[in-house]
Amino acid sequence: MTAPFLLFTLVGLGFFYLQNLVFFPNVRLRLLALLIFFVALRPSLALAVSVGLALGLLQDSYAATPFGLHLGTFLVLVATARFLRPRMLLQKVGSLMLASLAALVIQEAVWQLIMTVSRGPSLPPADQLKYHGLEILGTLALAPLMAILVKGLEAALRRWGWRPPREGALSVSSEL
Amino acid sequence: MRPHRRYRTFLFIAAALLLTVSVLSLSLKRAPILKKVEGMVVSLTAPGLQGLHYLGRMVKGVWEGYFALLEVRQENTALKRRLEEYAQKEVSYQEALQALQRLEGLLNLKRQLAQPVIGAHVIAYDPSLWSRCAMLDQGQDHGVKTGMPVVAVEGIVGRVVETYPGYSKVMLIVDRNSGADAMVQRTRVRGILQGRGTNRCSLDYVPKTADVQIGDLVLASGLGGVYPKGLVFGTVSAVNKKNPGVFQEIEVLPAMDLSALDEVLVVKVVNLAISEK
Repeated sequence: MTAPFLLFTLVGLGFFYLQNLVFFPNVRLRLLALLIFFVALRPSLALAVSVGLALGLLQDSYAATPFGLHLGTFLVLVATARFLRPRMLLQKVGSLMLASLAALVIQEAVWQLIMTVSRGPSLPPADQLKYHGLEILGTLALAPLMAILVKGLEAALRRWGWRPPREGALSVSSEL
Repeated sequence: MRPHRRYRTFLFIAAALLLTVSVLSLSLKRAPILKKVEGMVVSLTAPGLQGLHYLGRMVKGVWEGYFALLEVRQENTALKRRLEEYAQKEVSYQEALQALQRLEGLLNLKRQLAQPVIGAHVIAYDPSLWSRCAMLDQGQDHGVKTGMPVVAVEGIVGRVVETYPGYSKVMLIVDRNSGADAMVQRTRVRGILQGRGTNRCSLDYVPKTADVQIGDLVLASGLGGVYPKGLVFGTVSAVNKKNPGVFQEIEVLPAMDLSALDEVLVVKVVNLAISEK
């Protein structure tokens, strides 16, 4: 599992560099969240959790929020993906986008909940919520591309000899 | 799905969430191990970011100084070479002039501050909307310590919240966790400058009877001992007295674009004062 872990972590690091050097401050997208969500839709749970931990640590290290908050929300994304995986037909673009939207909204809700608990009962400013909403919508538009990227990377790994863990009868639903 | 696989998934997720809660509680207790992990991640990833940052600037410089003149070459090949030389020189002069102006501003600021400072470059930002902070290329090895204020020519940037051997993390004044005692320059009305997470701050706890107008300068009051007294936080961009309650809503626009910082100064000692001229 080392090779896929390193590959997806490096892709995540590449996205982080891209966001920092090219997109910031004009374009805000949750590329790491989307990547983790789609990795978690693939068969290997251990891979999804380990990539989520690595990229969560990365994002936490650069943020001014309590350490572990990004990590936690990334694991929430993994949990959401694992919950949705056997319940939705994720072959279609519409289903994929709906699932991505649900995951990103749940991630945002968990984040706001933790911040509200840790800071006291003050709601975030309305303009901030608006920007977060736009960020989620912008990220959502990239969901099909991210699905193709993750699937392509997994296909490349298979060509190099990596095999994901065997799946049960429901594994069909995970094919994107 | 086979039962044991389903349980394994739940166990996996439960263990991961337990880990998160443990990390969060350690974080709130400021456990040194987490700081070490954080420092290690930054030390591993920041050099790449720093290298790419400088490479990007270099490529941009080459692009602006050379490739933008290709059309001129097509129009007049003979003059192109000379024009290119002049353009290159012009770009260099402009760059040098701008650097000189920035450094001159920083030098003036350094003279104004009654404390020693460390010059630093911003090499990275937290690209998420959830926190507003920047990474500097100066750290513990250069004398940077947690709590030190960071300023730019135009005004206050934020304060150092974490330090690593070669880098340090700065919480910007617009971060939602940032709060500082501030005053309106014109009327000396005081309040708490609170970050709003976007590119704005708010000046809280100012009574509705207080005289605050759009365009008023908001300065650090010096109370709290974090930010140098008299340095600029920003200007008042909106005032609302029609809200319920006894305090007015005041929006403050930072003195500079906090998403496009380059050179900054880390003031080495807390509890500062601007020297009287």
